[in-house]
Amino acid sequence: MGTTEAPAEVERPAGREDTEIDRPWVVTVWNDPINLMSYVTYVFQKLFGYPRARAHRLMMQVHTEGRSDVASGTQDRCEYWCSRLHAHGLWATMRRD
Amino acid sequence: MAGLSPRVQRTRRGRYRLRLPAQERELLRTLPPQLRDLLGTDDPALGRLFPPAYRDDPERQAEYESLVSPELSRERLDAVSVMERTIDATDLSGEEMTAWLGAINDLRLVLGIRLEVTEELYEQGMPEDDPRSPAFAVFAYLGWLEEQIVEAMASGLPEGGQDSAEG
Repeated sequence: MGTTEAPAEVERPAGREDTEIDRPWVVTVWNDPINLMSYVTYVFQKLFGYPRARAHRLMMQVHTEGRSDVASGTQDRCEYWCSRLHAHGLWATMRRD
Repeated sequence: MAGLSPRVQRTRRGRYRLRLPAQERELLRTLPPQLRDLLGTDDPALGRLFPPAYRDDPERQAEYESLVSPELSRERLDAVSVMERTIDATDLSGEEMTAWLGAINDLRLVLGIRLEVTEELYEQGMPEDDPRSPAFAVFAYLGWLEEQIVEAMASGLPEGGQDSAEG
């Protein structure tokens, strides 16, 4: 597995509050050598409602690049997605974008 | 294992037909109780079933874990119970098939961690004289069966999806 990347610096207009809306959270799925490729695609389809082609593309990104950002939103929403991915045995983490 | 008859088929009514030879059922029968026993321990292999959501934030991670882990454990134990209860079934509901998929995937994860499976090992297989060889055979069999379950279940998903995870 790859190393943790530092979150990208995002420029923000001066004087604005740092709110959840300004910096949404992102859920990342990491590659692992055990989960089947077809299973990972299936989980993305089932959980996120993604079309098959898109779910397959995200799975291939996990497989070849080691990770893929699969969903984004509020902290609560991303915790929910993480917990569902964990329930399905996928290796998911979340971070502030 | 090529050329064998399909083990899992989705029916037009959204149920699942299981055609498992007796010896495969006997093997499968032994597995859910092992997963249940393991779930009650602090075995390091369980780390893979309950990974951290926050990699660099121990405080938030502790909160996430206390909220989520009991629920995940309960779901996993429920899936184990369903698989045990239906271990001799030839006809499963979608819910029951989902439970089998969950339990089998958990078993593969735990076995894979213990066997230190790599992508190379999965492709090349393991020498027969390796002491891990019997466990690896179970791991490979579960992967083969899971492929079929996933294929059957994926055939029941809407092709176009709904795009619900963003915005």
